[in-house]
Amino acid sequence: MMRYVRDPALWLTTLVVLVAGVWPLITRSATTREDMFLILMFVTLASSLNIVLGYTGYVNFGHIVFFGLGGYIGFYLIAEKGWHVIPAALAASLGVVLFAAILGGIILRLRGAYFALATIGVNEAVRSFIVNWDAVGGAVGMEMNFSRYQDYGGPMNALWFAYILLLIVTLASVLLSYFVRTSKFGLGLLAIREDEDAALVLGIPAPKAKTIAFALSAIFPAIVGTLFFFKNGNIEPGDAFRLHMSVEGIVMIMLGGYGTVMGPVVGAATYERLRGFLLTSPLFKNLQLAFAGVLLLLIIIFVPSGVVGWLRNRFPKVRRILA
Amino acid sequence: MKGMRLFVTVLFILALIVTGCSKATPTPAPQPTKAEAAPAQQQAPEAKAKTLVLGFTASQTGKYAKESKEQTQGIQLWLKDLEKKGGLKLSDGTVVNFKVKYYDDESTKERVQQLYTKLITEDGADLLISPYSSGLTAAAAVIAEQYGKIMITTGAASDSIYKQGYKRVYQIYTPASRYLTGAVDALKAWDPNAKKVAVVYEKSKFATGVAKAVKAYAEKQGLEVVLFEGYEAGTTDFNPFINKIEAAKPDAIIGGGHFQDGSTFAKQLYEKKTPVKMVAILVAPAVPEFAELGDAAVGVIGPSQWESIAKYSPESAKAAGLTWCGPTIEEFVSGYKEAYGYEPGYHAAGGYAAGLVLERAIKMADSTDPDAITKALDAMDVMIFFGHIKFDTGEAHGLQIGHDMVYLQWQKKDGKVVREIVWPEAAKTADAIYPLER
Repeated sequence: MMRYVRDPALWLTTLVVLVAGVWPLITRSATTREDMFLILMFVTLASSLNIVLGYTGYVNFGHIVFFGLGGYIGFYLIAEKGWHVIPAALAASLGVVLFAAILGGIILRLRGAYFALATIGVNEAVRSFIVNWDAVGGAVGMEMNFSRYQDYGGPMNALWFAYILLLIVTLASVLLSYFVRTSKFGLGLLAIREDEDAALVLGIPAPKAKTIAFALSAIFPAIVGTLFFFKNGNIEPGDAFRLHMSVEGIVMIMLGGYGTVMGPVVGAATYERLRGFLLTSPLFKNLQLAFAGVLLLLIIIFVPSGVVGWLRNRFPKVRRILA
Repeated sequence: MKGMRLFVTVLFILALIVTGCSKATPTPAPQPTKAEAAPAQQQAPEAKAKTLVLGFTASQTGKYAKESKEQTQGIQLWLKDLEKKGGLKLSDGTVVNFKVKYYDDESTKERVQQLYTKLITEDGADLLISPYSSGLTAAAAVIAEQYGKIMITTGAASDSIYKQGYKRVYQIYTPASRYLTGAVDALKAWDPNAKKVAVVYEKSKFATGVAKAVKAYAEKQGLEVVLFEGYEAGTTDFNPFINKIEAAKPDAIIGGGHFQDGSTFAKQLYEKKTPVKMVAILVAPAVPEFAELGDAAVGVIGPSQWESIAKYSPESAKAAGLTWCGPTIEEFVSGYKEAYGYEPGYHAAGGYAAGLVLERAIKMADSTDPDAITKALDAMDVMIFFGHIKFDTGEAHGLQIGHDMVYLQWQKKDGKVVREIVWPEAAKTADAIYPLER
């Protein structure tokens, strides 16, 4: 335990998320809150994905299925069954973790490109299942009555409430990422990433470890999905299972630093900030996507290990505080 | 100890970056608003000038880019026309001008909420217009309503938005529930003996909503829905569906989804010479490129929010006992052609109509007070070039109840395929081809 308390990397990671996350609460600015909501959402998604992608070395293109499915379960419970957002989010998380554990047991037998392809298939299959299921609105999706926000003291408070919950979830997901990284279990995952067969020979229960990592990576995206669609007031299959967002998550991890705790945090924040800034700046707003694309290309060509990875390689001393 | 010092230094730098970022971005935005509002006040020291900020997001990138561009151009043309008139004059001498502020929402919901919050809290938007599409509008409505802002929605036909208890969201388009019901009316009028209908639709939010509504309506009208079947978005082979249709022997086929699938469906129906009397398909027939199908397009009926050949005019308004306001269809079409070089479709017309309705509401309210404008919108019952505009003030507050779809049919004239309005009777430009000769 003392090992963790004394570790500056843990404190730095927590503080960065906390300082940035509390900022909108201090300024009470709704615009900052909206900007920060997206950043925290992406930090959570990227940090969770990193457990599978960065630590275990399995490229998961279907990560967004956890977000979408969690969003559907949570939204259904809130809008149709009148649940409070907290139990709904927890129920969503539980359901999605179970789904991930069962699914992981099956598709994690595949490796490399086969696994990546299977994850795309899973996302599309779930989307098409939802589209054909009328109890959750089918292709039309579901909407929530505006008066539902009154339970949280009006819509304004509801959005702040959702934000605070998201902040807690983001902190938890970053901490989870840290503890996995520094635990014996995490070392096992890193061994699998480097050479799965060798890891098996060394006595690491690879199939079980991979499945646990996969399930862990599903906990928080499901909660974020519930919060996001609660805030949106509606949900549709197209928005819930957008493959594009999975790819963005991978880009964020690569940008920040693959396999590090801080990497996805830095990567998600930078990527989202950059996009947000380009989107509203008068100079770039018409060519923001092109600009962002070129920038990303440069980073990937010249700093392939990401910002955090580069810092760790260039300045070995930094390794003590940048996990 | 050394580690601790390094830790503190890094922390300090990160804190600087975080606060620097948060402060740096918001500041540039509000400045232009003030700077541009100031000269307007100097020019007219006599009359009180008031500049209202009109905010919206446009999908400049992403899947809705094409439709959204038209809509934005429509809004901008309205603004230009208003500026030409020297602004909107109220009875107390105040001249109201608008300043438009918009951002790219990338056709995604995440952006919509972020940007509408920014528009309201930072850019000080007084009035809002919706993004394009029902999904994005539903997300924007949550934010608009929360701040008590008036939002005119255009390009958003979904009904469900107006059943969520919003008080200041108003719809320009005919809602999805009435999109194809006119086709059922037309069928009954043209052929009292018609009994069976097949509904084949794309499984998307919009098309499913329309299909469900038309099924319920057809059954209420005493027709039998012999086939009710959805197909996946992106379907290119309709033969399995056509076989089912032929087995069910309907009098009419109603359905479709978007342009690509709708035109493929029409083409394959023609190639198989499916013996039906009427084919009414969503969206695709309203797009000019549908003409490229040639003979396969002939006879296909499609609903449209607005057509430049529609017959809404000050005279037809008088006949219906309504006030007319704004430009005539000819004025709008020629103005649009002059500005952008081509004929406007209904997306552009919807954008212009949204601005015009706001203008009319402020004029009626004779004030820029949001409560007064809301009251004026509730009471609005006018005819504009886009058609009749009247909002539901009951349970589905803000739902469009005045405006009707027009139904066009592709017909052959002098060897060329042209579009003609065939329904409703009041707006028609030609007699319908019924039954189809196949």
